[in-house]
Amino acid sequence: MPYLFVAPNMFIFITFIIWPAIRGFQISFFDSIDGRTFTPVGAGNYRTIFADPTVASVAKNTATYVIFYVLISTFLATALALVVNEQKFAKGFFRAIIFLPVMLSPIVVGLIWNDVLDRKVGPLNSLLQALGGGSPGWLVEPKLGMIAVIFVGVWVHIGFYSIILLAGLQGIDRSLLEAASMDGATRAQIIRTIILPLLKPTTLVIIILSTIHGFQSFDFIYTLTGGGPLGATTLIVQYIYDSAFQTPIQYGLGSAAGVVLFMIIFAFTALNFLVGKKREAI
Amino acid sequence: MKIQKLRSKLAITLSLVLTAGLVATGLPAAHADTVGLKPTAAQLTAWKGKEITYYFYNDSQAELDTTKAQIADFEKLTGAKVKLDVIPYTSLDTQLQARLAAGNVPDVARLNNPGLYIKDSLDLEQYFSRKYAAEFIKGSTLQVTDPTTKKLIGVPYDLSMNGPIINVDQFKKAGVAVPTSWNWAELIAAAKKVRTANGTEYAFAMDKSGHRFSTVMSQFGAFMVDKNQKNVLPTSRFRAEKSLKMITDLYKADLAPRDLWIGTGTKYASPIAVFIGQQVPVFFSGNFNLATLVKDAKFNFQVVPNPKELNGGGWPGGKFLVAFKASKTPDLAAYFLHYLADAAQMDQMDKNCFWLPTRNDVVAAGVTYPSRQLDMSVYLADTAKTPAAAFGIQSVPTLTGLIYNKLRDLMTEVMAGKITAKQAIQTQIEWIDTQLATLRK
Repeated sequence: MPYLFVAPNMFIFITFIIWPAIRGFQISFFDSIDGRTFTPVGAGNYRTIFADPTVASVAKNTATYVIFYVLISTFLATALALVVNEQKFAKGFFRAIIFLPVMLSPIVVGLIWNDVLDRKVGPLNSLLQALGGGSPGWLVEPKLGMIAVIFVGVWVHIGFYSIILLAGLQGIDRSLLEAASMDGATRAQIIRTIILPLLKPTTLVIIILSTIHGFQSFDFIYTLTGGGPLGATTLIVQYIYDSAFQTPIQYGLGSAAGVVLFMIIFAFTALNFLVGKKREAI
Repeated sequence: MKIQKLRSKLAITLSLVLTAGLVATGLPAAHADTVGLKPTAAQLTAWKGKEITYYFYNDSQAELDTTKAQIADFEKLTGAKVKLDVIPYTSLDTQLQARLAAGNVPDVARLNNPGLYIKDSLDLEQYFSRKYAAEFIKGSTLQVTDPTTKKLIGVPYDLSMNGPIINVDQFKKAGVAVPTSWNWAELIAAAKKVRTANGTEYAFAMDKSGHRFSTVMSQFGAFMVDKNQKNVLPTSRFRAEKSLKMITDLYKADLAPRDLWIGTGTKYASPIAVFIGQQVPVFFSGNFNLATLVKDAKFNFQVVPNPKELNGGGWPGGKFLVAFKASKTPDLAAYFLHYLADAAQMDQMDKNCFWLPTRNDVVAAGVTYPSRQLDMSVYLADTAKTPAAAFGIQSVPTLTGLIYNKLRDLMTEVMAGKITAKQAIQTQIEWIDTQLATLRK
């Protein structure tokens, strides 16, 4: 009977996730320019990936993005959850506001921020100019382009992470906090020595989720910068997309890059999980 | 009445100009053999209730509206159904490639890069004989001719012509006369003067496109591939460098919308909104934007002749109709393609959408546009002035789009100060050599 209940979900999972993943792995050993004729190339596509200078630049961009995205997201989401958890007034309203960007389509997010960050007529630069600042080329200068996509990435997902952390915070036994307070612990001491250690399992989930989201980021970046300026915000998923679907079509290369991405995400997730488990045991 | 007479005189004159231009570029005279081809009774019986899919993109609302009306007429004529799939231009090839790979193949498609689909396209000669190709301007069929079998695998649907469009009101305010002929130095000087007088954001804007920039290179006498599939850029590298530096300098100096070009990665981008918003007085684009400008521009604009350096004129381009081998009803697909590209439909499309005709008979009869006749006459005159060498790149239909995109991306690097114009052209030369060598294997 339990198998019957999980059957519909398993059917969808196998059809749309497992089977395409297996096919993708298989195609990574072939060369195909049309998706209909396949020429076996052995590990040729993997060799191309590791020899292509574009991939080195894409890997550097992805690493930069993921590191900063995970660190900033985790830190800000925790801070936000702590603040919201203490709120007495209009709790629901603030939670809804924080969560709002999560509900927006990534394409819309890209378009909105494209306007906001416009160098000449964007509201952000208008504000900076009014405050006596310059007009940074957020979407034109390679370094600023990366800062812009990290910022937008964090903005989109932070509400989601905050809500998870908020649930974690509310699961902490309040008697512990009250006891610490009665013993004279300051608010900072309570956060550092009681709340954050007890929040570790939830934080680990956030780190794993944000790492996965970081590696998978593509849609809003594609609308926001198209991978520019000068490829500075081209991450690995865009490389996969460009290889597989942009002319000249290289389905095998795109699949091989997809397999490499899977291995990276799997390795990071496993590492995070194991480290978390080890710490829990200590 | 007087206006009508004037229009017909103008149309005849334009036809003569264009015909003279075609003769000058070695193109053949008209041979109309399948005009008005009607389906047989047997075909009508076989096609009744059948559905085909038309994979379509549009540059303007007029193109969509006219297409829908023509499809309705086609359905009445044949009893078949046509499902119109409207695709955004930016994902035209991406979606079609995926659909071909997945077996979800449309029957007929409107494309701008038909060379990518040569192996998938239906040989039209088996339906309309070898003479069918001769109904179209010869230069325009190169991109839809299989380089191996030399058979016609599609038809040119409209000829596009690049060139500058100016904001006349802003030119007048600046006291700059609307040019009837000019070179690039004069164009840039005028654009800067008009910008200063009107306080516009930019002086000049060009579509983010290697195709558009090839027009400028051609005017300076630089070409990339000749009709024998040979890389000819090395022989004109200095001219190419000069033209590339001239355009990218405008972007570097913020006289052109640098953010739009650099900030959109590897995607196509058009500054038409900047022109409609009156933030640039000179917009270098093509006739395909006229319908949108007629509808949306709240100021007087005018198409002006292309600047002349060593050469004048524009750069050949256009859109094509292709039917696919995988169609379940290939004869119906071929007939639908023929119907859309037939003289009556093409004339209607050209009039409504400010297209330039690709059929010899429509060219010979002359198209009387409902408005903007003078603008269209400028495009037609520039068509005639386009040098024959500009058609050379169409001898490598599978590479044409890639060559333009590579050039566009190198321009981006120059604009961002990453490489020089000289390095960009050198890279382009080496890249074309590699691509041509791969093609020959």
